[in-house]
Parts: sequence; structure tokens; C-alpha cells
Amino acid sequence: MTYQSTIQGVRGGFGQLLRAEWTKFWSVRSTVLCLLAAIGLSILLSMFLTFNSTDANEGPHYVDQFGFVYQPLAGDGSVVAHVQSQRDSHQWAKAGVIIKQSLQSGTPYAAVMVTPGHGVRFEATFNTQYTGTAAGGPRWLKLTRSGTSVTGFESGDGVTWTPVGTVTIAGLAPTAQVGLFVSSPPNYVVEKHFAGNDQHEVPTNGEATFDNVSVRPAVPTTLPAAPGPPVRWSFADILDTNRFPGGLAPGGFTETDGAFVVSGNGDIAGSESVSSLEAPTGDDIVKASLAGIQIGLIAFVALGVLYASSEYRTGLIRTTFTASPRRGRVLAAKAAVLGSVVLVAGLIASFGAFLAIQPKLHEKGYEPPAYPYLSLTNETVLRAVAGTALFLTLLALLSLGLGFVLRRSARAITLVLALVLVPQLAGDLIPSIEAAKWMVRLTPVAGLEIQQSRLRFDTAIGPWAGLAVLCGYAAVALLAALWMLRRRDA
Amino acid sequence: MEATIDVQGIHKRYGRTVAVDGLSFRVEPGLVTGFVGPNGAGKSTTMRIVLGLDSPDAGSAVIGGKRYASLRTPLREVGALLDASAIHPGRRARDHLLWMAHSNGIPRRRITEVLELVGLAQVAKRRAGGFSLGMKQRLGIAGALLGDPPVLMFDEPMNGLDPEGIHWIRGFLRSLAGDGRAILVSSHLMGELQDMADRLVVIGRGRLIADTSVRELLAAASDNRVFLRTGSRSEAMTVLANAGATVAITDRDAVTVSGLPAERIVALLTDARLPFSEIGQHRASLEEAYMELTRESVEFNAGEPS
Repeated sequence: MTYQSTIQGVRGGFGQLLRAEWTKFWSVRSTVLCLLAAIGLSILLSMFLTFNSTDANEGPHYVDQFGFVYQPLAGDGSVVAHVQSQRDSHQWAKAGVIIKQSLQSGTPYAAVMVTPGHGVRFEATFNTQYTGTAAGGPRWLKLTRSGTSVTGFESGDGVTWTPVGTVTIAGLAPTAQVGLFVSSPPNYVVEKHFAGNDQHEVPTNGEATFDNVSVRPAVPTTLPAAPGPPVRWSFADILDTNRFPGGLAPGGFTETDGAFVVSGNGDIAGSESVSSLEAPTGDDIVKASLAGIQIGLIAFVALGVLYASSEYRTGLIRTTFTASPRRGRVLAAKAAVLGSVVLVAGLIASFGAFLAIQPKLHEKGYEPPAYPYLSLTNETVLRAVAGTALFLTLLALLSLGLGFVLRRSARAITLVLALVLVPQLAGDLIPSIEAAKWMVRLTPVAGLEIQQSRLRFDTAIGPWAGLAVLCGYAAVALLAALWMLRRRDA
Repeated sequence: MEATIDVQGIHKRYGRTVAVDGLSFRVEPGLVTGFVGPNGAGKSTTMRIVLGLDSPDAGSAVIGGKRYASLRTPLREVGALLDASAIHPGRRARDHLLWMAHSNGIPRRRITEVLELVGLAQVAKRRAGGFSLGMKQRLGIAGALLGDPPVLMFDEPMNGLDPEGIHWIRGFLRSLAGDGRAILVSSHLMGELQDMADRLVVIGRGRLIADTSVRELLAAASDNRVFLRTGSRSEAMTVLANAGATVAITDRDAVTVSGLPAERIVALLTDARLPFSEIGQHRASLEEAYMELTRESVEFNAGEPS
């Protein structure tokens, strides 16, 4: 008497469930529109969101200020010094020997130097740099001039010399100034106020002790040794009034029994290399080019929430659980489908936004040398752009979880957006950098740090650590959803 | 699998409201079982518990001896229509059935079959949001039939149907039962179940009031009463009462008589020379029988001050 189903060969596996949830996803027009809107919003808003232009490239692209103990060197020759010690006033403080066209700031130079944080370096004409031994500490340094060619050497003992680099300085004057130099860039202090920041430079004072200082002309003059006093050392503060309009404390030097104590501040560098031009409030243009995502994410949040909550609104959830009574698997299938879809959409949105906005950034003055062109082949850029898709994926999963927990679209969307937007707004407003950082570290918005491409004064957390915070939130939301689904009547 | 639903002593409470209070019944294959009770009696809750959607506080509900949650391809075992409007308005009718079919690995061609079976083949590509309630009911029935299951449950399937639709569904459910399927149909209107249900499970306030065949119920309600229409009502009542019958007025010129067979009544009236225009066995309607059964358990009685 009992009837038997005529439908044969059915299986109730997870694959079927994925297929069912995928069918549910694409078969509702508003879902598909929401997805397209999310992609479109992210790209378009990135293009039209205005952010400040930069004047980083106006004025000279170098900084040239230091304490200089000098004497003229006619023709070829060499200058040698042993850096006995250097005060660790800044990781980019420099102490070494230099040959310079004149005492004018901004004129061509070549120098070999030690730094507290970056070892031995040979740098020239604001655009050339070679790195030597990484170790700091006492070091012998030598520069030799041959025509317009200058070579830098380093040595541990003053006997065996290792070349660090060679440059040709076109038009180097027959008689150039050679000697010892010391520089030390300022530190930056950012003070946060209500809805804004102030950046101050605090000068640091570099100091180094040299001994065994000698200047030897290459050709011992054919003339008999000039009678009279030996050439005396002079000191000059080379001042860069463009870069440091306020001026800084002057340096100086003392010589006692062949030991020179030299002090000075500033920096000798081109803007591509460096340090002192890289202010901590400088713009993170990778992050800036993805700015549209911060609005576009609203659509992704809505998508995630609605994928769960719309089933409750329509009552469809009962049909779903009637067709698939194992609720944990339904949650897993939904998470898998949503995650995959958002990952793909997120990649389209982030790569699209990034590529679309590059020309716009260049128009605004974000150009080399202060802001080198960004390439997707750069590991940091790729991490930021592709990571944005991961951020959106995790955010959508968090939304899905909360959609299941709260079951009401409006509530869940509001909660997720509050978690993501409030810390950002509040972070701008509260006048404490530390508090603003903790706001970011402790909320899902930490995931957005995957977009960072440079350290700024307000960098709260590393890119992957930030993403891990969001990951934690998403995991908690999904576990809560699982627990609720199993425990609660549908 | 045996096509049965077994409900054993289920209790369910939502907050302070007791929805189901120790309900037990069994739905047999080959029969349409009507599940009747006033609104709020616990019918939908019971159905949700059978489907594993709500968990009972006590008791159990099994289908063919198995808990619903343990079924691997439940659509093949049980078809259910709980709420016809529980569909996404933006989804096409066909796609709604498609995701259901995918979830249980049911072949695509079955979708076309069920759409034709319920008469929705022409509108399969329309979005469900534009459907009338009647069309939604048909779509819900199509979903229940997708896995061609031996057990079917329908919660108020005639809501929103026009008379033609009601006629269709009666015949349709009867034919499904004729295949040997077990069918449970709930309704708060006993009249809807007339000429369709074989058995009735009547509940009120979450408790079982009657679990009986339709024939027995009607016989019990009719209670051997005789219907009499006469112009001389009061005289007739006196005569019959004197003969030991219980007489109740049902109209200006009509009474029902119990305690005397029809032949005896005719003889008494003839002896007393009282005229009458109509006499016959009283036939209770299902509605009437139901009213009698649930008189004490009507929860939302509009006429009674509370």
C-alpha cells in the first residue's frame, strides 16, 4: 500500500547544497544588482572621491644641510678619516668624508659615510647611492678623486680598503672642498587634535668623533714643499633654507690632538632615497587609490546580511531547512558561495579602482620622485590591492554571520556598518593618536590596514595582523550563527 | 520507508504560551487525514515539529519511524507546504524549484513535471512576487511534490484559492492518497475538508479533541435525531414530549427530535391529527459536528465576552 518515490539516484551531499545555494544566489535579480552595484560603487567612488593634492614635488627634490669641516683640494687626491664614534641621534644620521663643489647648499657632492641604522653608504649628487658594510661602529673611510670620477672606500683597519662605489660628477670644479661632515635629520612629532593633525619637526643634533684625518693631493707638487703654515681646517654650517626654512641649531667642531669632534644637523639626500623627506603624515597613495572601497563595502555588507536575513524575512528559511535539515552544512554552503562570489567581485573592484585612479593621482601631483609610480608587480601594492578583496570577503562573512544571528536586515546591516565606520569617524575626531589606534586595532576596521603601503604616524597595526583581527570577528560571528541555528527554532 | 507520520506526546511552549500540550496521533498511508482546529490550536506548530524546524519540549514526531533531521534526502521522503508566501518575490518560479531540486539532487526534468502537475507551466519563468495567493499555493504544492514523496503535509492549502482551485485541490489530494501516500492537510474550516478527508485529527488549545474517521464523526453528531417541519409546532412538541422525546426548536416551523424513531413520530402526529410538511433523518454537516466538538476549546471566540 505504501507509496515509494519514483525519483531515483539522488544524493544529499555537500556539493548539492553548494549548487542549491549558488542557484539561490544568482536567481534573485536584486542580489545580482547589489553585487554589480558593489563593484561599480567601489570603482567609481575611488575615481571621484577627492583627496588632497600634494605639493611634495614642488621645490628642490633634495635636502642639503650639514656641518662641514673643510679645506680645499686642488686637482686629484684623497681624503681619509677614521670615524671613532657616532652619536645615535637618528637612524639616518650621517658622519663621514665628503668632496663638494662648493660651500653652497645644493651643489654636487660625493660622500662616504657611516649611519647608525643603515651601515656604510656611498652617496653622490642626490641621486646615487651604494651600500657598504651593514655593520655600524668605528670605520675607516676614504674618498679619492681622479678627474671627475670619485670613489668611496671603507676599511676596518685603514690598511685594506674596499671600494663602496664610484661616480662621475660632470663639471666638478678643479678645486673642490673636501673634509668631514655630520648630519642628523629631524624627528617628526604629530599632534592630534579634534578632526586634524599637526606635524612638528624636532631637530636632532648629530655628532661624531674622527681621527687620523688626512688630505693628500695625488701629485705631490713638483714645486718644493710650500713653506708656510699647513692648510687649516675651517667649519661651515651648510644651510638648506628651502627644506629647513626655520634654520636649525648650528654645528661646530673642535680639534684636540688630531681628534675632531664634529656636530651638525640636517641631511644630505635626494628625495628618492629618503628618510628625512618622508614625513610620517605623507599620503599613503595605495590606500588612497582604494578609498572607494570604504563606501563600496556597504553594498558588500548588505549582500552578506541579506543572503541570510532575506530568508527569514520571506520565511524561506523553513523551506531551506526542510530541504536540508543539517543546518551547519547550510551555513557552510552559504559561507562558501558568498565568500567565493565576494572574493571575485572584490578582486574586480579593487583592481579596477586601483587602475582607474592612477592617472587621476598623477594629475594631483602624486608623481615621482616624491611619489614613485605604483606597479601591481610591486609586492606591497599587490598585497594591498588583492588584500582588499580578502578584506571584503571576510567582511561579507561577518555580515552573513550577523545576518543569521540577528535575522533582521536593518539591525544586522546597521551593526556591521557601525563596527566598520564608527571607529574610522571617531578615530578622526578623538584628539589622541593612541586612542585612535586602539579603535582600529580592536574593531573589524583593522582589516582595512591590509591596504597600507607605508608606515605613518597613525598606522595602528600591521597589514596581516589587521586582517587577522577581522578574521577573528568573522569567525566569532559565524560560530555564533552556527550555535544559534542549532539551538533556535527555525 | 513506511509512509506514516507518528506524533507521540509532543509538548511545545513559546514563552508563556503553550502551543502544543501532549498531542499524539498517527497519519496512515492511503488516506487524507484532516488536521483541524481553530486558529492558534497548534496545527502549524505540530507540523513544524514534524519537519524538525522546531524542537518539541517533550515527545517525539517521526516519519516512517525516522526523525526528520536524520533524513539525508528529505524531499524524497516528505513533501511539505507550510506557508505559500514563504518564497523570495524576486525569484522565478522555476528557479525556486531549481534550488530545491539541487539541494536533494533531484533531476531537472522533475521541475517541468511538477509545474505541469500543478498547472504553473505557463508562468514558470515569472517572478514569484507577482503571483496571486492561489498561484503561490500551487507553487508550494509543486515544491512539496518535487521529490515525489510518499508523505505529504499541507498547512491550510486552500487559503486564497478560488472555488475552482478548491475543487482542483480536493481531487488532487484524493488522487495522491489513492497512490498510497499519507497526506496530512490542516484547516481551520471543517467545511473545506468535506468530501476530501478520510480521517480527522481535531485539536484545540494544543490538545487532541478527536481522532476519528469522518463517517464515525458524522454519525455521532447526527445522533439519530429526526428533523420535522410543521405548521403546528407547539402542539407537535407537546405530543412528542409526552411520548418521551427530547425536542429542540430549530426554526419558526421546525424542530429536531431525539429519543424517538421517525416511524413512531409519524404515527403520533397522525393520531393527534397534526399536519407536517417534512420529516426525515437529521444529517449533521461536518461543520456542525466540528462546532460541537470544539465548543469548549475555541480560543478566539469573537462572540463571547472574555
